[in-house]
Amino acid sequence: MALGTMAMLGSTANAQKVAFEEFDLDNGLHVVLHQDNSAPVIITSVMYHVGAKDEQPNRTGFAHFFEHLLFEGTKNIERGEWFKIVTANGGNNNANTSDDRTYYYEVFPSNNLELAIWMESERLMHPVINQIGVDTQNEVVKEEKRLRIDNQPYGNIFKAIKQSLFKNHPYRWTTIGEMEHLDSATLDEFKAFNKKFYIPNNAVLVVAGQFDNAQAKEWIKKYFGAIPKGEPIKRQKFEEAPITSTINATWEDPNVQLPMTLAAYRTPSMKTKDARVLDMISSYLSDGKSSKLYKKMVDDKKVALQVGAFNNSQEDYGQYIIYSLPLGDVSSESLLKEIDEEIVNMQNNLISENDFQKLQNKFENNYVNSNSTVEGIAENLASYYLLYGDINLVNTEIDIYRSITREDIKEVAKKYLNPNQRLILNYGPAKEKTAK
Amino acid sequence: MKKYLYIAASLLVTITMQAQDRKMPKQGPAPSININKPETFTLENGLKVMVVENHKLPRVSFNLTLDNAPFAEGSKKGVTDLVSAMIGNATEKISKDKFNEEIDFLGANFNFNESGASASGLSRYSARILELLADGALNPLFTQADFDAERAKIIEGLKSDEKSASAIAGRVQNVLTFGKEHYNGEFTSEETLKNVTLQDVINHYNTYFVPGNAYLVVIGDVKTKDVKKKVEELFGADVWKKATAPNLTYNDPKDLQYSQINFVDVPNAVQSEISLINLSKLKMNDKDYFAAILANQILGGGGEGRLFLNLREKHGWTYGSYSNLGASKYISKFSSTASVRNTVTDSAVVEIFNELKKIRTDLVSAEDLKNAKAKYIGNFVMQIEKPATIARYALNIKTLGLPEDFYENYVRNINAVTPEDIRNAANKYFLANNTRVVIVGKAADVLPGLEAMSAKEKMPIFYFDKYGNKVEKPVVKKEIPAGVTAQSVIKKHVDAIGGEKALKAVKTLFVISKGTIQGQTLDMVSKTSNKGMSSTDVTMKGMSLMKQIIGDKTGYQTSQGQKKNIEGAELVKEKKEAVPFIELALLADKTIVLSGIEAVNGQDAYVIQVNTSKYFYDVKTGLRVAAENEAGEGDQKRKVMTTYADYVDVKGVKVPYKTTLDVGMPLEFITQDVKINEGVTDKDFE
Repeated sequence: MALGTMAMLGSTANAQKVAFEEFDLDNGLHVVLHQDNSAPVIITSVMYHVGAKDEQPNRTGFAHFFEHLLFEGTKNIERGEWFKIVTANGGNNNANTSDDRTYYYEVFPSNNLELAIWMESERLMHPVINQIGVDTQNEVVKEEKRLRIDNQPYGNIFKAIKQSLFKNHPYRWTTIGEMEHLDSATLDEFKAFNKKFYIPNNAVLVVAGQFDNAQAKEWIKKYFGAIPKGEPIKRQKFEEAPITSTINATWEDPNVQLPMTLAAYRTPSMKTKDARVLDMISSYLSDGKSSKLYKKMVDDKKVALQVGAFNNSQEDYGQYIIYSLPLGDVSSESLLKEIDEEIVNMQNNLISENDFQKLQNKFENNYVNSNSTVEGIAENLASYYLLYGDINLVNTEIDIYRSITREDIKEVAKKYLNPNQRLILNYGPAKEKTAK
Repeated sequence: MKKYLYIAASLLVTITMQAQDRKMPKQGPAPSININKPETFTLENGLKVMVVENHKLPRVSFNLTLDNAPFAEGSKKGVTDLVSAMIGNATEKISKDKFNEEIDFLGANFNFNESGASASGLSRYSARILELLADGALNPLFTQADFDAERAKIIEGLKSDEKSASAIAGRVQNVLTFGKEHYNGEFTSEETLKNVTLQDVINHYNTYFVPGNAYLVVIGDVKTKDVKKKVEELFGADVWKKATAPNLTYNDPKDLQYSQINFVDVPNAVQSEISLINLSKLKMNDKDYFAAILANQILGGGGEGRLFLNLREKHGWTYGSYSNLGASKYISKFSSTASVRNTVTDSAVVEIFNELKKIRTDLVSAEDLKNAKAKYIGNFVMQIEKPATIARYALNIKTLGLPEDFYENYVRNINAVTPEDIRNAANKYFLANNTRVVIVGKAADVLPGLEAMSAKEKMPIFYFDKYGNKVEKPVVKKEIPAGVTAQSVIKKHVDAIGGEKALKAVKTLFVISKGTIQGQTLDMVSKTSNKGMSSTDVTMKGMSLMKQIIGDKTGYQTSQGQKKNIEGAELVKEKKEAVPFIELALLADKTIVLSGIEAVNGQDAYVIQVNTSKYFYDVKTGLRVAAENEAGEGDQKRKVMTTYADYVDVKGVKVPYKTTLDVGMPLEFITQDVKINEGVTDKDFE
């Protein structure tokens, strides 16, 4: 390595600390304010602690369906007006759903904070849930599923993995859910779901950007304060028995031509230190051209077109997924063999000091970038508060990564990444149906 | 008592106040904005450098852009893909492994391609990051081994998208819109990649990776003074020799003379990719640029656009429908798109056309225009102070030839647009009569509806393969549902037109119809008897044009004064068909075959093969909708398609009142009168 580079290692990263203020309203709504006056922008977001894992097994897709339904209108916002109001005031907005939570946000020029707070409070206070809205969004969600999943090469990977890794936990179904479940759901069921989960004491409101602190608080109290507290949610805990022998599965996808080989492991909650160690292991294996799997399989041996490892960390469990596309006629077995060699190596030997320093640098860089936009900071604050239970992680999570040792990497690889703990998925082209 | 009233009254006041309180809040005063400019300097070799200092976070980004004119790669299409794949893998000074190792060690992100390079990372490594960027971009090592490996990967990678409807759509849209010879229409294939050599890659790099039209944008926690020194050292004229890339001119492709549908069959598709396209020559420095982008915003700019509200919110056909108007120095396109489920493809196309026509014809409302302006101005206000925006806008002014005060006047120019300007821009940039409708989807599900729409809208369909080559209409095999047989199809038809008993009671059928062909009126009188006899007489202004008699034992035909006898096998065949309802005989005929399902005027119909004729029965109603017969002899032999419609109940039996013969042009007969069991004697068949 160049001497210059070594010299530069001396200085330490000094990412700006994210300053924030938090308080609770009487109805249990948690509020977080983060001021940043560098641009005339204001982000108003609400994260609700409801996701696909809160659904009934015969009513999957509900949480995501709400992400559509709750744009249909409120008592004071007529159907079809939501997007128009946002645009007419120069803003943009969207929402997204995961297995753990649902997130709604508006980004406006900073003179529209009151409007944004009002809109989000309207959504929580009295959304209009009627048959027209349900029927329209039912069709829209089906199109979304066709667009993003059924018409996309490799679109059903998560479905294939989740149904094998989870037998008991609601992570076994997909976020978008089964369309038959949505078809058979009644209007009353949708209303009941809203009443149960869309309550102030199951949400966090974040206001971030350029605003006047006292004014913002006044508006928040005025619009959100009027909303009654909901019945506290009783959540069921789902435990999975450990996987003790390899699960083999196949999936046929008519949209693909190249077979993909995947190994997936069930890993612990994103809140644990082990989950963060697994993030580092992913980086070690496949982030960058010098990463172990990329360099060996794509660059040197030329057996793979692609190889990747990532830790899909979630609130209750994670899915650790390694995937590879072959180059030419390379078999699934030989791809797996190459992957396993590196894992075994990690389990038996400490990674090199140089590789370890490389990981530290990468995570330092990720950390600086994760708080680089006000939009990003707003979402981080909401997630750390609502899902991780520790909002200070916005500034301190990097310390957890910094505390990880080479020994930790070895131990975690040994603990979770064994052949008998995993799913081997062969995700390939659909076989031609024989003509009758 | 009064006290209570007071309380009630005050409660009422609070309640009303609360209700008023929840009215939509008004906007606060507009935030003030500053439009900053980057520090800029130009090196001797032409490289222009822009620096935006921002010390909020300890990071830096470098972005090198080569603003070369576009060019076609022709039979060697893919040479740019290969340059992009190989550049930055190794340099003349640093081996591939060491280069990659160091980049990853810095925790930085690097990207090299044929038209530039970029890197970002922690600012404490900024000097080294810039060194590696310069080395990777200016001293790349191109080797045969690397060339072979990257080419193999690109070829394999092409396969991963082989069956993707959206990837196919993207390719075919450009091939058809711009033409295969045009730089926007050509595409990389295994064949063209095999024409490329290592020397081509090196030549390409040497010709195009030059500083003449190059820009380096630096944003972040750095000092301009330091950057300048470092850039001069790493990118100066003695390292990067002064040169300018070639600027070739191409003939612009042309829009269609009339709207047409271009269909690509992708049997695995569960959605159709629809795109209505015309060419766009809009440039950002055009006078009507702001009117054009606002028109596009109103038509299909987002979740509040007309296309979205119509196709998604009103009909639930799609996850989203949008329009996109290209504005570039070079020719680009305007397109309105949606991915919709197969069965609503034709309806979605019609609705997109309706929206295009509407915005070209009607003035937009003051509210629509106000909202569109608000969106653009809002985004502008939110973006303008971000460091990346400052750099991007400065770069746009240089590369797109915009006036220096383009962004200072942005808000004013947006606000000046009128509804008339929108309509003018819509007419100029959104065509409705010269539109190419590219649809990529599953023919079996989509074509029946599309063909009906095509006939109605008089918009022809042409078929292409997934590379944009013209092909024949795809043959679609539809599966016949279990339990359906030739006999069950005939039985359903018989039941649909009155039932076996009612049909058997018909001894003679007497039909008078009027036809038109090329403005002339024809009269036709046809009589049939259940004894296997028929007479048909076609006259024009009382003059006989054609007459055919199938009698008890003889038959003949006269046409334009010439008489020809019908005898032997031909007579036997004609007699079979010379009955009021041929299906009564087919009920017990074991030689007929159910050969499949085909679309007739957009509706699925079962096809029953009877000797050399085909009969088509609507899958849903059971009614006979068409017949295909052979006519003429020898070289003159051809197939004639007859379609039937408008079934009318006559004494408990349904008879088609509209019969259309396709004799090169449609010959349409409308029934005037039908008589059952009256007006016909055996004498009529002599």
